[in-house]
Amino acid sequence: MTAPTIANRDDLISYLHTAMALEHATIPPYLTAYYSIHSNTNSDAAHIIRVVAVEEMLHLTLAANVLNAIGGTPDLTRPGFVPSYPAYLPDGEDDFTVDLRPFSPEAVETFCKIERPGTTSGAGPRLVQTADSGRPLLVSSPTVEGMRFYSIGEFYAEIIEGLEKVAASDPALFCGDPARQVGPESFYSGGGALFPVTDLDSALRALHFIADQGEGLDSGLYDDDGELAHYYRFRQLQLGRYYEVGDEPDAPSGPPLFVTWDDVYQVKVSARLADYPPGELADAARQFNADYGAFLGLLTKAFNGQPALLQDAVWYMFRLRDGINQLVRNPLPGSDWLHAAPTFEIPAAVGSDQDASRTTGEMAQAVSR
Amino acid sequence: MTARSFERFLNLSVDLTAFRETELLGTGLAHHYLAKVRAACGDEIFADLLAAHRLARSDASRDAGDRDPVLLDRALRHRIFSDDTLGPVARNVIKLWYAGMWYGLPPEWTDRYGARAAAATSTVTAASYQEGLLWPAIGAHPPGAKAPGYGSWAQPPRIEDRYLKRAAK
Repeated sequence: MTAPTIANRDDLISYLHTAMALEHATIPPYLTAYYSIHSNTNSDAAHIIRVVAVEEMLHLTLAANVLNAIGGTPDLTRPGFVPSYPAYLPDGEDDFTVDLRPFSPEAVETFCKIERPGTTSGAGPRLVQTADSGRPLLVSSPTVEGMRFYSIGEFYAEIIEGLEKVAASDPALFCGDPARQVGPESFYSGGGALFPVTDLDSALRALHFIADQGEGLDSGLYDDDGELAHYYRFRQLQLGRYYEVGDEPDAPSGPPLFVTWDDVYQVKVSARLADYPPGELADAARQFNADYGAFLGLLTKAFNGQPALLQDAVWYMFRLRDGINQLVRNPLPGSDWLHAAPTFEIPAAVGSDQDASRTTGEMAQAVSR
Repeated sequence: MTARSFERFLNLSVDLTAFRETELLGTGLAHHYLAKVRAACGDEIFADLLAAHRLARSDASRDAGDRDPVLLDRALRHRIFSDDTLGPVARNVIKLWYAGMWYGLPPEWTDRYGARAAAATSTVTAASYQEGLLWPAIGAHPPGAKAPGYGSWAQPPRIEDRYLKRAAK
């Protein structure tokens, strides 16, 4: 078994920064697939993807609460917080990358891989050697060079173990200002309640919740609240049938589920600004990235002592929705009839000023391409 | 429908609505609207409308490769809006983009060119109400759809520079 990689508060803080980046990194692939679906079609699939994406937002916020509880400073604006897609996932082997794809069998396959349950149990090694690929990793160990996790669930198992160990030796671990915690009064959500993290118990509860809701840390289909884990939600799209309580993993017995793969805007996979010819469509793509960067700035403020700002995040997200919808409906010139899609290349110059519209012109120029 | 006539319909719509092509395509309804207009006025008049628009653009073209907005405005009025055949259709194309509704052509028009079933007032698709350009034009959202989010009304409207007075053309 690999030696534990978390020895002190600083290690925990590094891990929780990575946890926030990881939770966020799953959202652009889900949003791209979700908004590629033609409106009023594929309601089963759209609903499944939407629920998972909303729960990832909850996980992001819970991770921020744990980080704040031990005196960390969440920052969603730092360079590299948003990965450059395609990005590798923590899978032991380099057998797949996470792309920004239209809703498709390939996209669902990737979603299952993102959310797949860990295969190690108990004493098995959680950390495996990373291949030297030079690609960005979604989950690597922030404290041990060249190592990464076999699955997202195991990444959280490492944090949970480290948290318990550090808390036992450092009674002042939970020194964060409780006013920085985001509570249910600031977070309008489906898929589980948000709660403040102030001690070891609530921190463990938050981390277990994230792991259970996503991948099923204990490899169960349903979590303690009777919610189907994300992996199995996506498996339903592959198997064409809903699960019911008591089902075996590969044999859902619920009602059939219908997918029409053709009712989708075929957006370019992991589109980059460089794929856009100069013009108004490229401007719209840059505008979206600037808006998204400003939105991450807003979240950073909210996670740094101003949780009430999450109310503004709601209308901000609707604005982002309108931006994505406009892009995916536009053909991308020079791409063989593929459609445009947001690139999530966040301009470096974005500050945390919540009103991006006034500075968009400057920010757009900051994009290097 | 050919890709060329679609592109020409988009060009026409850009000049008629003052919205950009990206915004028009962003409604997801451009193909539906083209089909609606063509069905309502017939292939021949539709082709005449696109041809008149191309002539109007060339009337206004400048050596630099762009167009003089004043000349374009004059040419559109001359070649399209003051034309008994094309004018009513073009006005309805504007209303179609803005309201998401096809309004019936006036009786004088149908008396002369024939009344097609598709020419009557009708909704194009269930999505066309929410995608009407009317809503972004006034900085609002269609009531009952495209919710902008709680508290959004406390924010200043987002008006692009090109719509402000004395904006560079």
